[in-house]
Amino acid sequence: MELVCLGVNHKTAPVEVRERFAVGTTRLGEASQELLKMADVPEGVVVSTCNRTEFYLAAECATDALKRLESSLAEKVHGHEEPFYRFEKKDAARHLCKVVSGLDSMLLGETEIFGQVKQAYHAAHAAGTTGATLNKLFQKVFSVGKKVRTQTSIQEGSTSIGNVAVELAEKIFGHLKNSEVMVLGAGEMSRLTAQALVSRGAKSIIVANRTHDRAIELAAEMKGRAVRFDDWLDVLKDVDVVISSTGAPHTIIHRKEIESLRRARKFRPLFLIDIAVPRDIEHEVGEIDEVYLYDIDALEQLADQAKARRIKQILECENIIELELLKLLK
Amino acid sequence: MIAVFLCQIGYLGVRGEMRGACPLRSLAEIFVFLSWSLTLFYLLVGPMYRISLLGVFTAPLVALFQGFALIPGNLAANPERVLNTSFWGEIHSSMSVLAYGALALAAVAGVMFMVLDHQLKEHDLKSGLFRNLPPVRELLVSLERLLWLGVGLLTIGLVAGVLMPHETADAWKHVFVALGVWGAYIALMMIKRVRGIAGRWFALGAVGLFVLSLGVFAFV
Repeated sequence: MELVCLGVNHKTAPVEVRERFAVGTTRLGEASQELLKMADVPEGVVVSTCNRTEFYLAAECATDALKRLESSLAEKVHGHEEPFYRFEKKDAARHLCKVVSGLDSMLLGETEIFGQVKQAYHAAHAAGTTGATLNKLFQKVFSVGKKVRTQTSIQEGSTSIGNVAVELAEKIFGHLKNSEVMVLGAGEMSRLTAQALVSRGAKSIIVANRTHDRAIELAAEMKGRAVRFDDWLDVLKDVDVVISSTGAPHTIIHRKEIESLRRARKFRPLFLIDIAVPRDIEHEVGEIDEVYLYDIDALEQLADQAKARRIKQILECENIIELELLKLLK
Repeated sequence: MIAVFLCQIGYLGVRGEMRGACPLRSLAEIFVFLSWSLTLFYLLVGPMYRISLLGVFTAPLVALFQGFALIPGNLAANPERVLNTSFWGEIHSSMSVLAYGALALAAVAGVMFMVLDHQLKEHDLKSGLFRNLPPVRELLVSLERLLWLGVGLLTIGLVAGVLMPHETADAWKHVFVALGVWGAYIALMMIKRVRGIAGRWFALGAVGLFVLSLGVFAFV
């Protein structure tokens, strides 16, 4: 049996093309059955995520199977530039290994793809569209994916500002379930960062915004509570993390205000995230012993460092994949 | 660390048999007992408080203490057998050294805190050490618990020290110094509990008091 992969992803097709091929998780098994009919092959798996849809086939003749599948799908790409990429035999196995390891993802090294491919394989297996070839391939690929993630640091570090903030908050407070978060300014960036903290279990969210209605709206979305912008300092006593992103043309949090609260806070650690430009928090606030202050540049720098570290790992990941492919094809 | 702990037990057992008493009669024995106590608390506390990497910081201190014990001339090959032992004297020595094990581990947690605090303050987060250190809040909680444990044991040692027979003026001097150390630790704990104190100063206090008390006892 020969292995074939045909796919579209974020690198080869715009979203208006990708969405035509997208398959919901509940329909993956059914889609794999349709794939067998379209390509007239004994084995097939459809992998579909927000950034890619890929068809894996095991056929007696890879070239013929590809032709049949492409002609069946031609209608869906009518009016657009050629969106497909194709891999045959060993190249198809190599590509799947890279996909599972997060090397082909938009966010290099992301981990979600591993579970998505596993789900697609299980759906196809349950639908009876896999056989000896694809079963062996996918099992091997999953073990390669695990190996890549455990033996390299491809998934280490956060590559977005929100995730860097979460990682730092966890480094300071451990589990966030006992941590209170205050959001100053209800802009998109603070919403995303607060959401990232809530998704990791932050105890409660307090929102303060110059337009109080917007604060109420964001607080409702986060299942938190809104306070008047003038009252934010009164609330700070019990807060552990502050995300500040107001549109103020000058700093709004000053050293003397934080100093005045230290006794009341019993000198507990305070994590201040300033993602506003111009900055909301006076630089000198970071000199207070128990305060950890990070502005947008510091967070971006950390995200960039993590990205650079991941890029450095690509070669190592590819070496592992090549070694494992040799074992698979022996 | 488990292997080290077993070797320490073996050594202290043999030494105790030779002495016919708790093996705390020479500086070398005190250092080995202290190392054993530090290792014991590390093995108990490390998994309990999920302090990963504690061993990386504890092992050098254990090695240092045992290194002191091995300095030529410190360890008598045939130690003198103790003829007159006192119950309170034995309790005082063993509890005090056990307490110092806990206080040493608190100092280790303090050093870990200071390293992490510095890295977070300076935005220097690239090292593997940073990734593996436990969170700031957990370190502070562990540090405080270890100090309470150490101070509790020190209190027992101190009470036993008052009750044990004192044949020389030096013995009382030793008790008063111990009382001073105990008072300093209690003051640090009370400041933390009642007023609050920044983590950096609390950690520095735990490290400083431990080093200072070791230094004081070396001369008293």
